[in-house]
Amino acid sequence: MANEARYLYSVARTGENNDHVRLGNIGIEKNEVYIVPFKDIAAVVHACEEKPYRTEDRKLAEDWVLEHSYVIDQATRMFGTVLPFSFDIIIKGNDEAVKGWLSRDYESLAGELLRMQGTAEYSIQIYCDPAYLEKMVLVHNQDLQDLMSRIENEPKGKAYLLKRNLDLKMKDRAFSEAAKLAEGFSGKIKPLAEELKVAGKSSWAEEKYKDKKLVASFCCRVSDEAIKELGETLDEINGKEGYYVRFTGPWAPFSFVSLSGTGSSEEG
Amino acid sequence: MNPERESCLVEVLDRLLTKGAVLNADLIISVAGIPLIGVTLRAMIAGMETMLEYGIMEDWDKESRELYASQQTHLPLLLGEEVIYKTFGYLRDEEGMIKCWVPGVWNITSQRVILWVRTPGKVLFEAPLEGLRLLRVPSTHDVRKELELVYPEGSARISLTERDEFEQALREAATAATQAADGVAAARKEKEIIIVG
Repeated sequence: MANEARYLYSVARTGENNDHVRLGNIGIEKNEVYIVPFKDIAAVVHACEEKPYRTEDRKLAEDWVLEHSYVIDQATRMFGTVLPFSFDIIIKGNDEAVKGWLSRDYESLAGELLRMQGTAEYSIQIYCDPAYLEKMVLVHNQDLQDLMSRIENEPKGKAYLLKRNLDLKMKDRAFSEAAKLAEGFSGKIKPLAEELKVAGKSSWAEEKYKDKKLVASFCCRVSDEAIKELGETLDEINGKEGYYVRFTGPWAPFSFVSLSGTGSSEEG
Repeated sequence: MNPERESCLVEVLDRLLTKGAVLNADLIISVAGIPLIGVTLRAMIAGMETMLEYGIMEDWDKESRELYASQQTHLPLLLGEEVIYKTFGYLRDEEGMIKCWVPGVWNITSQRVILWVRTPGKVLFEAPLEGLRLLRVPSTHDVRKELELVYPEGSARISLTERDEFEQALREAATAATQAADGVAAARKEKEIIIVG
């Protein structure tokens, strides 16, 4: 039989009386999820073999990831904000090994839990009508307006190249225009958030935003008290002509949890 | 407005596979050397553009994630330089053990011709437009056509589907760059860009 190991979902502040807490068979492949406590914190785990979850079956892999996500949601519901771990982090050994890690890294884990307390991660995407964005790019760039009128008077071949040049420039300026807008939005959102990060551009979009241009994408960590005001600020942006705001959450602080230096099995 | 607890599958995958805390130590097993999850899944969160690189990057460990997060995604331009034309193409690599065509995006700027690879953000080739000469050479490929770029420090064989357009754009850019650099010699320099074959 393969060696014992523990699949790690999250670390939570469970309080001192945390013996025998069970979350049920909600883990990956219906494994029983339970907590390994140390002092007032605990690791949320299931027992597994010492090998990573690997598959080329896309559907199965998606199921695993969704199950992992579900456990984090349930743990958050039970214990408040948790430190979410990435998919497929497996600790060698049994509960004692997990406990050993918690005790060695107690300070940084407890510190990070305290920092996250009473806050959650939210995701904000601000979309714009492409026609509206183009209009603004042209208003702010006289040279593009000139180039546009030049194209009309050139022979076909030259006009084609100029058009490609114009398209590239439009794309480039639209990018700077969007960056300017994003900076303005982040200026409004930042004061209301504990932390704010500009999220990377991704290749997908929800159906209703498919024909819109994403001008700003943030993830921010916001305290429970500030969330109403953030909603009002986003309402203002959403109410402007040409803008659409997508606001989702609360999520576990995936983008903000930082445990650099933890996880070493060495003492100290 | 109130936040909605809605999340599409790709968002969940992105969060769980590329974010969240990671332990990088001998305490855990799923680290370097072991692909954590199927290539198809990674490709899905990455989008088509980076699919190729994901196929190559079999180890989706912490280091790969950090590399991916830190890489430059835009071609670094010089002061006052602007991209005039770009198209997908190849550069012949004769230096390595295996002679091969290296793919990337050919950019013609107001000052240089550059082969740029978005992942991991890298300039594979660059040459100034000034003093650049172009030679058409017989193609070794069915669809793509080839060009030899001759520049002061050497020469390079490149291959593109849209060679004719690329060539025209490069000739115009080189002429403009030469004119800008040396107004008097512009007419003479233009003649140096010869076409053979």
